[in-house]
Amino acid sequence: MTDHEQYTPGPASRAQVRKDRGQNGQEKWTLILVRELRHSPEKVWQALTDPAHLREWAPFDADGSLGTVGATVKLTTVGAPALRVSETRVTRADAPKVLEYKWGGFDMRWELEALGGGTRLTLWTNIGRRFISMGAAGWHICFDVLERLLAGEPIGRIVGPEAMKFGGWQRLNAEYAKQFGIETPNWPPEAAQKS
Amino acid sequence: MKIKVTSVYVDDQDKALRFYTEVLGFAKKTDFSQGPYRWLTVASPEEPDGTELQLALNNNPAAKAYQQAIFQQGQPAAMFFTDDVKGDHERIKARGAEFTMPPTDVTGSTIAMLKDTCGNLIQLTQLARYSR
Repeated sequence: MTDHEQYTPGPASRAQVRKDRGQNGQEKWTLILVRELRHSPEKVWQALTDPAHLREWAPFDADGSLGTVGATVKLTTVGAPALRVSETRVTRADAPKVLEYKWGGFDMRWELEALGGGTRLTLWTNIGRRFISMGAAGWHICFDVLERLLAGEPIGRIVGPEAMKFGGWQRLNAEYAKQFGIETPNWPPEAAQKS
Repeated sequence: MKIKVTSVYVDDQDKALRFYTEVLGFAKKTDFSQGPYRWLTVASPEEPDGTELQLALNNNPAAKAYQQAIFQQGQPAAMFFTDDVKGDHERIKARGAEFTMPPTDVTGSTIAMLKDTCGNLIQLTQLARYSR
């Protein structure tokens, strides 16, 4: 839990962004992230569904397992200045392959494919347009932390404003913005820079 | 212990940010998103490290009912202090805001009330001791 100083995120990896029209006619953006992990789908599945594992890497806490379809689970956003709790229902849980639920109004879809002895993990998540590269950078760091957790060397989760203070975050944010062909969001905002 | 952040609920954070910065003249202070949540605050340029006003998305039915009720009763959701309420009234009105009360003398202060376009009334207050 004390190795944050020694952690440096790697370069931006594969990520895609997709724009759809929502039912209300508004733009709906989806961020698609892929990470290859050197651990079995069963092990990765546990890290995605078990509250004790989620607490070590995910940007939210769950008060129950996400591994059962139909289960109602409260997700609490951590790291933000205010705790935000949203109740979610697991809509799909095909262990250890596909997991779907909502986080607030956002769809979360996880897909796990066996790859050699490891897993190719893909996440589809909705995101506000202006936060696409920030979200990609945030999830990138979460996946790095997940990888270390699976390797038995947990370093403790790095989420929310804490992740942004992190050296590699700015770089990742800029790299993903470039990858997506969007402007780097103004972070920190000018008012905060002055102080 | 300090009062550092206070909140108003808004029905649209992008619209609120435009109103609170471009019309009222505050500056964006913090804007980040984590999953479905967006933490958005503004601060006064006269006091960049002063109290922040969080523009919180009103997707909470209980808060929505409260917001609508106090709006209908003419109660302000937030109050800002100024040393020139008449000047601010002119300036903000010129930028298209709708005032429900022009600068009006009440005991000890002059107040004005405007709509923030996001479901709230905002009161501007100039205490008598600031009058010129």
